[in-house]
Amino acid sequence: MSIKVDFQLDAKGLSCPMPIVKTKKAMADLVDGQILEVSATDKGSKADIAAWAESVGHQYIGTMEEESVLKHYIRKCSDDTMDEKIFERTIGLEEAMEREGLILDVREEAEFAFGHIKGAKSIPMGELDARLSELDKKQEVYVVCRTGKRSDLAAQKLTAHGFTKVFNVLPGMTSWTGDLTAFSSVEMEELSLRTPRPVATTE
Amino acid sequence: MSNKVAIIASNGGLFDAYKVFNIATAAAATEKEVAIFFTFEGLNLIHKQGMHALPMPAGAEHYAEGFAKANVPAIPQLVEMAQELGVKFIACQMTMDVMGLTTDDFVEGIEVGGAVTFLEFAKDAAPSLTF
Repeated sequence: MSIKVDFQLDAKGLSCPMPIVKTKKAMADLVDGQILEVSATDKGSKADIAAWAESVGHQYIGTMEEESVLKHYIRKCSDDTMDEKIFERTIGLEEAMEREGLILDVREEAEFAFGHIKGAKSIPMGELDARLSELDKKQEVYVVCRTGKRSDLAAQKLTAHGFTKVFNVLPGMTSWTGDLTAFSSVEMEELSLRTPRPVATTE
Repeated sequence: MSNKVAIIASNGGLFDAYKVFNIATAAAATEKEVAIFFTFEGLNLIHKQGMHALPMPAGAEHYAEGFAKANVPAIPQLVEMAQELGVKFIACQMTMDVMGLTTDDFVEGIEVGGAVTFLEFAKDAAPSLTF
């Protein structure tokens, strides 16, 4: 299967501490918000990558194992805190869940794949412009991301395009305590059939 | 929280070298400021020739196969990696004098200093490790 990522790093066959050293170097090529996929065979790398990301301040999204290769997903974020709330119509996570309407998750595909609110629709922030036609202007749209920062931008964008029933869900998924749905096997299958988008590989 | 990791390398075997350089490179990759103080046999770990032929502990020679199988990087490679990541190497002046060694005997880019040089770095480091 292939989750959409911005950079790929091949650290297969390398033992500790090389996967971490290479990941650190590769991360320098990413801009904030981009996703790095690290392939490794070192079994210790799962705990190490998660600890490394936590320590350095990036977002560890998750790890998948395929045929004894571990694929780690990390999102670069030097600052993901919600510093400025611009979009005024906000709604609490729980309240949004109780209402009719669409939960629109604007996090990256990898973040969505590792856990999302059941029934939520995924359109990553960067694809929103191109995929507006998938949304119904008459429907209420509850925009959610991890912290509320990206969803604030997305809500502004939707409003600018004529959507009137838009709410930014605050706080975001970091505060979600309900059930999370990971991709189903069918969705995984669809991903694996999709032609992979060309991605930059990093040494 | 301290952002420094201070390491004393005082033994000169292959296992010692891995303990020192794995922790050092991992710490540096985690954006810590790292210094290693090489003293006594620890100087072998950065000796131009010595680092290529560090001994296994007696009776542990059979691990050579395991090292190859696990694709563990060679020590000179880890030394280079550590320096590239900004790990500071401090060679102990007193030991160098005793052993008749000069900076030319070691890899490029090391500092030479005494115990106080290391202590000054280590005073607010956490963790401080000795191998």
